[in-house]
Amino acid sequence: MDIDVTQSSGVAVVAPRGDLDMATVDEVRRTLAGLIDGGQSRVLMDLGGVGYIDSSGMGAMVAAMKQARAAGGDVRLCALQDDVRGIFELTRLARAMSIHPTRQEALASWR
Amino acid sequence: MTPKAAGSTFSMTSEPEHLVRLRKWLRDELAGHGVPKQEQSNILLAVGELCANSIQHAYEGKGGQPIQVSVRSSADSLVIEVEDFGKPFDAELYESPDLDSLPDSGYGLYLVKNIADSLSIDVARERGTRWTMVKYRQGRGPAAKRAQP
Repeated sequence: MDIDVTQSSGVAVVAPRGDLDMATVDEVRRTLAGLIDGGQSRVLMDLGGVGYIDSSGMGAMVAAMKQARAAGGDVRLCALQDDVRGIFELTRLARAMSIHPTRQEALASWR
Repeated sequence: MTPKAAGSTFSMTSEPEHLVRLRKWLRDELAGHGVPKQEQSNILLAVGELCANSIQHAYEGKGGQPIQVSVRSSADSLVIEVEDFGKPFDAELYESPDLDSLPDSGYGLYLVKNIADSLSIDVARERGTRWTMVKYRQGRGPAAKRAQP
């Protein structure tokens, strides 16, 4: 899985591309944990390039969100494809996580 | 759309890397069985979760172990079976996740149960578990039949 990490106004923007399932989740988990452990507790996951996410992928998002919130930051999500968004709604994570339609809106939520 | 009459089976081994191949096969199967595109994603997810459960729990992460997925359909429903030959699923040990506490894991079977119209488990076998998931076609399930005048 390709994972693009960029910086924008003090927020680490993580943009994975491909399917986020148990075969690829460890890369995402490592990337997120590395950022947060390194002091980057404001993380935006741009999921526009993810067409499929399973429960292991969702678990990784939740774990990172909890780690970031404990460090005074957050993991927020943006650009979810409809199918992916539907899964976040089924598990009620859509209510617990901060989810935004676009990267710009998500970044603006931190200002 | 006329559904396919015959069932098909996909065989894989228990490496997570094979899940992407499974999804490709299943997507084609679902289309062939006349499942509307908007319903395919949830079924792909549910079947993926059952296979992930076999990989993680029945085989405890050990590769090279067999998993079979079969699909058949009728005018009323789609029936998908996922079968492994590892440690049998123990329903007594299963606890539904407390979603309000934001767990890091345990969403898989919760999703399957929410997506399937019915889910049964056969562990009365020499080895392993066979999951049978039924998804009714729109307007064809027992509830729809009861609602008919």
